[in-house]
Amino acid sequence: MRADAMRISRRAILWASIAPAALPLGAANSADVAIVVRPDVPVENLSFSELRRLMLGDRQFWSSNLKVTLLVRAPGAREREVVLKTIYQMSEAQFRQYWIAKVFRAEAASGPRIVYSNEMAAELAAAIPGAVAFVEAGQIPPGLKVLKINGLLPNQSGYPLH
Amino acid sequence: MKFAVLAVVLIWTMPPAARAQASDPATQELIQKLLTRIDSLEKRVAELEKVSPTAKGPAPAAVVAAAPSPQPGGHTNHDQAPVPEPPAAETAQPVYPSLKIAGFSDLDFSATNLHGPNGGFGAQTLLDPHSGFEEGQFVLHLSSALSPKVTVFSELSLTARSDAGTGTPAAPGFSPEVERIILRYDVNDYFKLSVGRYHTPINYWNTAFHHGQWLQTTISRPEMTQFGGSFIPVHFLGALAEGAVPAGGLNFNYQVGLGNGRGQVLSRAGDFSDINNARAWLANVFIKPDALYGLQAGGSVYRDELSPLTGAPAREWIQSAHLIWQKETPEFLGEFANVTHNFFNGVTSHSQAFYLQTAYRLPWFNKQWKPYYRFEQIHVPNSDVLFRSLVPTFSGSTVGVRYDFTTFAAFKLEYRNYQRRGLPPINGIFSQTSFTF
Repeated sequence: MRADAMRISRRAILWASIAPAALPLGAANSADVAIVVRPDVPVENLSFSELRRLMLGDRQFWSSNLKVTLLVRAPGAREREVVLKTIYQMSEAQFRQYWIAKVFRAEAASGPRIVYSNEMAAELAAAIPGAVAFVEAGQIPPGLKVLKINGLLPNQSGYPLH
Repeated sequence: MKFAVLAVVLIWTMPPAARAQASDPATQELIQKLLTRIDSLEKRVAELEKVSPTAKGPAPAAVVAAAPSPQPGGHTNHDQAPVPEPPAAETAQPVYPSLKIAGFSDLDFSATNLHGPNGGFGAQTLLDPHSGFEEGQFVLHLSSALSPKVTVFSELSLTARSDAGTGTPAAPGFSPEVERIILRYDVNDYFKLSVGRYHTPINYWNTAFHHGQWLQTTISRPEMTQFGGSFIPVHFLGALAEGAVPAGGLNFNYQVGLGNGRGQVLSRAGDFSDINNARAWLANVFIKPDALYGLQAGGSVYRDELSPLTGAPAREWIQSAHLIWQKETPEFLGEFANVTHNFFNGVTSHSQAFYLQTAYRLPWFNKQWKPYYRFEQIHVPNSDVLFRSLVPTFSGSTVGVRYDFTTFAAFKLEYRNYQRRGLPPINGIFSQTSFTF
């Protein structure tokens, strides 16, 4: 009986949340992309410039003993488009060429690892020490830490990744 | 239940337009998906509650989301069944060594009004007295992480020879070369130490593009940094310390190296010991400011003692500077280098070279077209008896267009005009199909 009541209540909350989501303002907030890492990554907040250095492979260590592993969604995913547009400011072709050149210059051993779903991103982010992944803010997986960007969490006003 | 009542009130007090939006097919589909997801999550919560009766409800929205209590592949207690490890996690851990191979190649065509020797230009400048197709370089790039902090990079090339089949024994059709082999230990971002054979980090182009012609906008390198050329030492055998520090958003990068320097043939590195027991050293610094994403500016110095097979020995100083805008709308590359030779007979000479290159990725036709222009100049004074027979004095213009017909292959077409000192000018048409695979 309690479970049924809870289920009804949750569905009501869903309906109540969907109604404003149909409006433009709500739609903008739900589109934010969160940056998730394992809780043992010794960082809580990154400036946008630091995030860019991280994604460009210019910063390769969280600390001396913890190397960064980049996880990026496969082409076609919205999270990838957001990352390329806002952080890299590159087209898909420029992004690929950038990483081929980066490895060719011996500045990185490999490019970002490709993940094909938010679930896969979450699994790998949880499994690989130092991994950083991008997931839709509404699908933040349990057990992972969400990094602040410029002191802001997803869905806060001014958050840059959307 | 209060929420349910509130939701019903909210829905029925919504403006008609909003209700209409909520009832359109796309929204209905979204609602169904979300309901399905809620159902699956509720099942999952129920399962977890059964397993761990003391478990609390989901944490409120916070920086760290609620973690699942069992660790993959482990037991939380003896009565609990092991939790199967997620499939992706099985392949998540890096494997060492992790060899990765990439290939680059190019096929070229050139036609010029040159009759006779080109006067010191590198073979890959494609200035031949005969027109025709040419096989460029076949390059393999290999990289492999040996551990989280140790990585090997190497670059092998096969280059077609113009003297194939001649001589005794007959020259082979291609020259194999270990262009780069580097073993690097990364202490952290601030300090990395490596040994190996490098492309000498004393200017931008030499370490940005290497032998993959597909990576560079134009068909060939600027002559001051051409493979097989002598103006700057293209290769360097030794050890290198490098790193980067944020420096308040300037992103200061440094490289300091010690090595053998040039060999008896000035265009080659001293690959088999130092010919004169006088090590070469170099220092290269550059910044990449956060505030101007795409900008790189820097400079370097290089010091060596030259003992050429033919010609006078000398001490060599090289100073160089570069200013780069790495984006493509527009792209801008500019470099300058001064080579000072202090001959042991007391004569000092200064040779200079620079290039300015600009390009623009056109916004039309899927951004596949990129016209470009480069002006370059090398000046070698009469007093530099080492360079006079090896390095051309000239000024040249290159205008062309690059067409990226796939993400990994490009066709380039360009026209060049080179004005040489004391020799007729060279005009030529060049094309190149370059790719990575």
